[in-house]
Amino acid sequence: MLKNYLKIAWRNLLKNKGFTFINIAGLTIGMASAALILLWVQNELSYDRFHDKKDRLYTMYNRAVFDGNLWCWNTTPKIMAKTLKADYPQVEEATHTTECTFLFTVGDKKLMERGYFTDQGFLNMFSFPLVKGERNKALVDNSSIVLTEKAAKKLFGSTDAAMGKTVKIDSNAHFTVTAVMQDLPNNTRFRFEYLLPWTYMKKIGWDDESWGNNSVQTYALLKPGVKYEAANARIKNITKSHSDQKDTEVFLHPIEKWRLYSKFENGVNTGGKISTVRLFAAIAGLILVIACINFMNLSTARSEKRAKEVGIRKVAGAPREFLIGQFLSESILIALFAGVLALIIVQLSLSGFNQLTGKELFMPYASVDFWIIFFGFIILTGIIAGSYPAFYLSSFQPVKVLKGTFKAANALVAPRKVLVVIQFTVAIVLIICTIIVKSQLQHGQSRDTGYKRDNLVYSYMTGDMGKHYNAIRNDMMASGAVTGVTKTSAPITEGWSDSWGYSWPGKDPNAKLDFNVFNVDGEFTKTMGLKIIEGRDIDIVKYPTDSLAMLLNEAAVKVMGFKNPVGQIVNNGDTKWHVVGVIKDFILQSPYEPVHPMVVQGPSSWFNIVHYKLNPARSTAANLKSIEQVFKKYNPDYPFEYNFVDEDYAKKFAEEQRVGTLATLFAGLTVFISCLGLFGLATYMAQNRIKEIGVRKVLGASVGRITRLLSIDFLKLVLISFLIAAPFSWWGMSEWLKSYTYRVDISIWVFIGAGVMSMLIAIATISYQSIKAAIANPVKSLRSE
Amino acid sequence: MVKEEKMIKITDLEKFYRTEEVETVALNKLSLEVKKGEFVAIMGPSGCGKSTLLNIIGMLDDPDGGSYVFNGTEIAHYSERKRADLRKHNIGFVFQSFNLIDELTVFENVELPLIYTGVAAADRAKRVEEVLDKMQIMHRRNHYPQQLSGGQQQRVAIARAVVNKPKLILADEPTGNLDSSNGNEVMELLTDLNEQGTTIVMVTHSEHDARYSHRIIRLLDGHTVMENIMI
Repeated sequence: MLKNYLKIAWRNLLKNKGFTFINIAGLTIGMASAALILLWVQNELSYDRFHDKKDRLYTMYNRAVFDGNLWCWNTTPKIMAKTLKADYPQVEEATHTTECTFLFTVGDKKLMERGYFTDQGFLNMFSFPLVKGERNKALVDNSSIVLTEKAAKKLFGSTDAAMGKTVKIDSNAHFTVTAVMQDLPNNTRFRFEYLLPWTYMKKIGWDDESWGNNSVQTYALLKPGVKYEAANARIKNITKSHSDQKDTEVFLHPIEKWRLYSKFENGVNTGGKISTVRLFAAIAGLILVIACINFMNLSTARSEKRAKEVGIRKVAGAPREFLIGQFLSESILIALFAGVLALIIVQLSLSGFNQLTGKELFMPYASVDFWIIFFGFIILTGIIAGSYPAFYLSSFQPVKVLKGTFKAANALVAPRKVLVVIQFTVAIVLIICTIIVKSQLQHGQSRDTGYKRDNLVYSYMTGDMGKHYNAIRNDMMASGAVTGVTKTSAPITEGWSDSWGYSWPGKDPNAKLDFNVFNVDGEFTKTMGLKIIEGRDIDIVKYPTDSLAMLLNEAAVKVMGFKNPVGQIVNNGDTKWHVVGVIKDFILQSPYEPVHPMVVQGPSSWFNIVHYKLNPARSTAANLKSIEQVFKKYNPDYPFEYNFVDEDYAKKFAEEQRVGTLATLFAGLTVFISCLGLFGLATYMAQNRIKEIGVRKVLGASVGRITRLLSIDFLKLVLISFLIAAPFSWWGMSEWLKSYTYRVDISIWVFIGAGVMSMLIAIATISYQSIKAAIANPVKSLRSE
Repeated sequence: MVKEEKMIKITDLEKFYRTEEVETVALNKLSLEVKKGEFVAIMGPSGCGKSTLLNIIGMLDDPDGGSYVFNGTEIAHYSERKRADLRKHNIGFVFQSFNLIDELTVFENVELPLIYTGVAAADRAKRVEEVLDKMQIMHRRNHYPQQLSGGQQQRVAIARAVVNKPKLILADEPTGNLDSSNGNEVMELLTDLNEQGTTIVMVTHSEHDARYSHRIIRLLDGHTVMENIMI
């Protein structure tokens, strides 16, 4: 029976090459698009789900009220992990991590790598496989280090060679490789090339036991059987009971929510990246459905041709379910061809897609599950595409079809119109969404940052740079490579520190206000191109007391309520900062959010970064070469590394850029698949109306009139689609834009543009068949009838 | 030669076709009987209800009133599934326009009813070859319908109708699309089948073809107006 199904299916495919091409092409593109998106979705959903103890793993979050809002954040005190483990019987294990970058030296090899300070608990809790070494004691010793395979190979040539060897960290510490870890998979939140024992952090003075310094990530493993709610209730007062911060609560955030549910609004988890994942999963489904609709429409449009076969088979004794089986076999066969082609397309486009998404997705050909899913996907697609035609075609009454009184094409006009409307509604929604996402992106990019990004570069202060900073700055200026140099606590594009510990005259004692904290030494506004609104810049050379000088941004002045900010004293603990100037607000964090109040503190602070403005009169290469010579002179062991601020700033738009590019790509593909189907339908409709066209022409209808006659029905459908799509996409995009404070207004022109674009695309698609039918010689069509 | 046992007994059969505005009476209290082994021709002008009658006899359509007893069983109110089951084991059809499936070869077209009655593949091949041989169309077994003449296509259609060894063959204008020579050949084939025991009911406009039958039933406006016994 199956052989018979497949045989006739194969012959039908060969006999109707145009139909076969349109269906296979549409399904191939649909399946390939859906597969790529689903690979991405699967990757997102699988983040950190591979840990054996995943059901008991949590990260710790703080929760406290600032500015009247309940804020949640996941940086915690360094002391928290130790306290959790010691004082809370619900906790089996606790650990903490904080990022670090060190210069590694092995013989002549020098390497700057990013890693984590952590402890043995990390290895006990998380299931990153070791290729060498013993998991239960790899980080027990104070001088031990765990390397990834990649780092081990870079430093020692091989993992075998690395074990037991010594690595020099910076210029003064030596560690022995006690384990080598498999390179991290691409679906983990953790990013490191080595793990250093927490004890070293203590040794270099970076550890503290303050409950007010939230700077590391803390993780807890609950004991088996301990309920999340019970543990949460017990742990929530950990900060209150160990410090004077009586308004800070702590809660556990489960591992399955780390990646996709990281957004909190007023203390409530409101999702996060999961909305993008859902959006793209929906797009994958819609693209596939649109491709399946092509199959349904074309199959039912040509049902008159299949009706005779159905009638004969029924007369010969075929029960309906046999016929359903036959038509489903045909659609599954088409889906199989499309699936194989889609697999090839996915493989060929995967590297480009990875570049686009910033992932390392791959097709797991060796996995049995992959092939089960692959064939399941094909069968599902075949069933979705074929079920409606199968049930419809198999319902034909043999009496009617064999007597020739059957007119299937017209009998199904209404459902087919509905399906075309669905296709174009989705396509137009995607077009409108794409335009709005791009507009929002452009809107954010065109916002004034408040500083001048061009030629602005920064480097991390490594090794001896801090010690020789003044000499380095003087040499850089003397070289002519730069027009300004300033030392800061963080890159100008990132907020690394914030604090609510400030007080000032007139402050409401009950108010808890949070400020971004930025430390600078001098020439800050000049180097960055910031505008001073009032007062002056911090200048330690000219004003020796400026080590405790402070600049405020406009937002800070506003929340502090200063009428005359310059000269005011701002306290932070025992430190008294004196305000010397006010700077215009500049974008430190999200370009879509209002500028947060900020205090810029003078040189009596800590520094990590040196910013410098390249001399525009010289070439960038020449400038960088000169600066490298200066860096090498004072910090010879460390490689010269630099970052352009405009490139860093552009990364703030990466997510929107990615969503915009993917939306454009998939909107384009959706439109293409829909047009493919429309082209096929137009072809069949023109064939079905060939006699009518002949008669009209004989009676004097012009080519233009007939073309219009054949096109108008389709254009009406596109118009209806637009009328459905426009309010739907307006609502959807209004909701999406709500997540941005600084957002674009949705213009009526977006809808007009999308409507005109979809009409033009539809006209271009159907005009070929319409004109071809209209200019055909009526004698032929009437004779053939 | 004609056995007295009844294969078909139709009493007061009614069939209406309704649109929103008009109701057309296709069969009006029609009664008839066909005995096993009989060869009956049904004649009448266009629209008299002969094809409707043939479709009801062939269980492709159901009546709106009256009784239809087939081989002693009342089937007028059978469900579509039961009718289909009864049909595939008992009835073969021959149509004016042959109604072969263009995508299947001669062999595959003839094989079709055997597939639906669940005959094993090896058995099917043997039976198809036998019947193709009998219809003298064996040399065309791998051809497609479009590669055959009208006469050859109708031979294939008859082969398909008889391959399941039905008790009854219903022929709807079997020579309507054939020239006289091919038409005669088809009628000879039907006569041979009847002589071998198959009951045949044939709708025709042709007095010439009707003469091959044992009895001619003439219809007008949905009921029997005359019966001629052929001598």
